[in-house]
Amino acid sequence: MNEFVEECRREWRRLGVADPIANEMAADLTADIEEAESEGGSAEDVVGNSAFDPQRFAGQWAIARGVTAPPTISSPPRRWPALAFGLIGCTALLALGVAVLAGGRQSSAAIASVSRNLGGPKSVHVFPGSPVVLQHFQHFPGAVIVALLLLVVGVVGVGLAALYVAPWNGARIGPWEIRRHRPRSGDPRA
Amino acid sequence: MGETDSRRSQLLRGVLDICLLAVMREGPAYGYEMTKRLRARGLSTVGEGSIYPLLGRLERDGLVETRRAASNGGPPRKYYSLSPAGERALEAGRREWQMARDAVDGALDLVKAEVRP
Repeated sequence: MNEFVEECRREWRRLGVADPIANEMAADLTADIEEAESEGGSAEDVVGNSAFDPQRFAGQWAIARGVTAPPTISSPPRRWPALAFGLIGCTALLALGVAVLAGGRQSSAAIASVSRNLGGPKSVHVFPGSPVVLQHFQHFPGAVIVALLLLVVGVVGVGLAALYVAPWNGARIGPWEIRRHRPRSGDPRA
Repeated sequence: MGETDSRRSQLLRGVLDICLLAVMREGPAYGYEMTKRLRARGLSTVGEGSIYPLLGRLERDGLVETRRAASNGGPPRKYYSLSPAGERALEAGRREWQMARDAVDGALDLVKAEVRP
């Protein structure tokens, strides 16, 4: 098949033109170019300057016939995931904060006494810069795990909510969903 | 491309659809055959582009009818012919062209020049 026609086919494929329609257009074009060549001419006699720009020619023809794939279908923005993730994250962080404050007040006396017995407060530097949390929770080993879980859930929840509403997330339908498009199945006039 | 060629090309672009419908009136034709018919009338349609996108639009608008048929021993070709809507579009286009041509002739003072002794 003519190189020009091959280029056109590639462009039609890229544009989502259905194969039967692309085959038909390619066959017509091939026959016309072959006829021109048999008369001593070339593809330029058939398609003019477009012979040097097959992508543009193929695109114009497909659009004129109305056989390109429909525009990308994007779902309307879904707000609930952002709300849900944000709510979960904020709740977890709030619960963590309340627990820290409450644990700090209730155990302050115990901490003071234990600290005195141990020769001063001990800080477990699991989280750099936040030894207070662990100072409060070091007397309740189970609570440390809960605090860690709350912190992780909070950070992840707020992070995911931010991903949903981020301005660079053009689709606004979720960070891991891709936009879908489907080629037109057929042209009723073809 | 010179200025004259460019103007001619732009003028032709505005009426190429009517010209295509007109040559189809002579009988059904495939794409390249229509190019040759137009060329035989002094209209070089393939200077800047081609007739295929235009034929596609005419087909989409229902102004032409198509059928596949063998051509002189060659591969089957898509033949275009005027539909009833295309006939009406041709007549309307012809009137528009005549009105536009008369107006331009008047602006260019060609009408007076023709009647001047």
